[in-house]
Amino acid sequence: MIRRQFLKKSLGAMTAATAAYSLSGCGTKQDSSRRNQITFGSYADPALDILKEVILPEFEHATGIRTEWVEADFSGWFQKALNDGQTKAGAFDIYVMDDLWVPRFAGAGYLANLDELGFQTDQDFVPSALDLGYWPPKTGLRQPGIDRKARSVLYSLPLISDCQLFFYRNDIYKNGAPSSWDDVLQMARQHSDPSRRQYGWVTRGVKGNPIMNSFFVLLHDFGGDIFGENWKVVFNSPQAVDALEFYLNLLRYAPPGVAEFDSDQEGATLLQGNAFAATIWTGWCPQTDDPTKSRVVGKINFDVPPKKVNRVAKLGLFMAGIAASAPHKTEALEFLKWFSSPSSQLRFARAGGTPFRTSAFKDEEARKKSRWLDAILRALTLGVPSPRTSDWSKVEDILGTELNKALLERGNAKKHLDAGAAEATGFLKSAGYPVG
Amino acid sequence: MPGWRVKLLPWALIAPTAVFALAMTVLPLVYSVLTSLQEFPLGRAPVFVGLQNYQNLLHDANFGRSLATTLIFTIVATAVEFVLGLALALLLKEEFAFQGIIRSSLIIPMVIAPVVVGIIWRLLYNADVGLFSFAVQALTGRSFSVLSSTTMALPALIVVDIWEWTPFMFLILLAGIQSLPLEPFEAARVDGASPWNIFVHLTLPMLKPVIVVALLIRALDAFTVFDQVFVLTQGGPGTATEVATLMIYKTAFRFSQFGYGASMAIALLALVLSFSAAVTRAFKGSV
Repeated sequence: MIRRQFLKKSLGAMTAATAAYSLSGCGTKQDSSRRNQITFGSYADPALDILKEVILPEFEHATGIRTEWVEADFSGWFQKALNDGQTKAGAFDIYVMDDLWVPRFAGAGYLANLDELGFQTDQDFVPSALDLGYWPPKTGLRQPGIDRKARSVLYSLPLISDCQLFFYRNDIYKNGAPSSWDDVLQMARQHSDPSRRQYGWVTRGVKGNPIMNSFFVLLHDFGGDIFGENWKVVFNSPQAVDALEFYLNLLRYAPPGVAEFDSDQEGATLLQGNAFAATIWTGWCPQTDDPTKSRVVGKINFDVPPKKVNRVAKLGLFMAGIAASAPHKTEALEFLKWFSSPSSQLRFARAGGTPFRTSAFKDEEARKKSRWLDAILRALTLGVPSPRTSDWSKVEDILGTELNKALLERGNAKKHLDAGAAEATGFLKSAGYPVG
Repeated sequence: MPGWRVKLLPWALIAPTAVFALAMTVLPLVYSVLTSLQEFPLGRAPVFVGLQNYQNLLHDANFGRSLATTLIFTIVATAVEFVLGLALALLLKEEFAFQGIIRSSLIIPMVIAPVVVGIIWRLLYNADVGLFSFAVQALTGRSFSVLSSTTMALPALIVVDIWEWTPFMFLILLAGIQSLPLEPFEAARVDGASPWNIFVHLTLPMLKPVIVVALLIRALDAFTVFDQVFVLTQGGPGTATEVATLMIYKTAFRFSQFGYGASMAIALLALVLSFSAAVTRAFKGSV
């Protein structure tokens, strides 16, 4: 056989093999298209483990719809989801989102309208959790460019009801949860002992979102807020200055290097028994009772953060929305309906998950399994979310940087809040907000 | 073969490479420039805003500060890496026992992924259990957190870069030194020149083209440092380590100001190109 003939025959054989493989692939696809696979995109978080390991297999078994779970770190997934939404690539059917992404994703048209798809809500959904899935927001300020009279539409559903609880050591707080922040400061003053690495308070001090989340509860508890009427920046009000000064006072009883603490170091300090109070996301609750992760099993209790002027908790729910470009919307909707049904929510809660139906929160068996459910339900009812604007990340970064500076200087609360307010006001004006 | 085919053949041969290069470099750049001339309001089509983003950039004190931080980082890190790399190359240029093992182990930091490098150093710098805090506490009796200090955080990042990239300088300069002709050095020794004179008057001038290339490559890389900063400090404490790339990333992807982020990227590109042109011009004839 001469070389040319050999090449021709090889090429022919390869083409035939490729065609056969492709055709067999088509056949397979046709068989499985009766029940398509849905692809979830998500950030990695231990709070999602029960959903992935217990609930999704149940869903597959019940409906015959296969599921695929694609995850990345928080920032990585945010970028991927944003790209998918912008390019309408259709790589994902369901986006798992932080609730503060909802304004951006819904506002930009990356999410399917669940009302139009026929999703029905009912009175059993925890109202504050469900409200986070609407755009424009049902209550409060509306971003410029959005009609004040526009109807709020449901774009996403809660997936995990996460919020910040007050974690405290019951062997130190012997009379139960503190009723006020002054009690927390007093206990910290009395019981802190840095020589034994015992600290009365631990917090996240990293600039931006981490420290902002830590300060948010205090700000609102002290009667402050982020925005006033017409988006006027008010986080430098006298109440806010008091809140920051109190936060800086508490820091005297925090571990060294707290300015570089994020959620992982904060939680680890508590679980190692080195701190006896903190406001932490509920995703950490199960670990407190896990002997492989905690040295203080059974010694940590949970409550809504204490009161100064108000008593609030910071909401930070995991949300699920169907991508506008999802290739399998019907199946994705079926998942949301199935997962939000009373029976699935009950099973989810009994497996150790944090549901979003009041009935599941109140189930005795679920409460026995997760002793923090009662505190979470109370926190949800008092919950305050991040401001509902797609520009929140920028404002959060500005304020979070100034808070970090105040933390490093252990003072100058007013100076830094004023600086943050001036910069945030400038930004909001340039972005078209009426600001005042 | 007909004449026109002969004429076309070279073009046909380079066409795939040219198309590939165009698609991978020129098109994204053109797209970035176009993006920098637009705004992306929520839920609406992009709006052409001309040079508005660049005008805003001129008044953006935060971006100016991030450029200054980047410049300090680049100059200090590259200079120290050069001095250490050259010293190591001079020290290890001769044949000696276990030279393979020693040279290989020296380049280990360079082959570790930058994110992993960041994690390793985050542990070393940790305020509670880190080696540095432990040493400071043992020596002074006071706790000290490197990454929480506005004055120490940037030097700490520079140390990480030096640890990671000095081996790169070492490798390039060692290759350069070993490729130098032996005759001038032998003649100088016969004439009684001291080692210092040989280094200053022979090694350095003859090595100049290699030095310029090494400095240029490292400086261009240092200008775009991101991973270590992202993992170690997120630009903090305050804004002490907020380099330009981190600011571009946050502006474009966290704050969704794609147009403004693109204008920052183009400005940084212009700065890097100017720097590279200035260095090349300064050493014209050597490179």
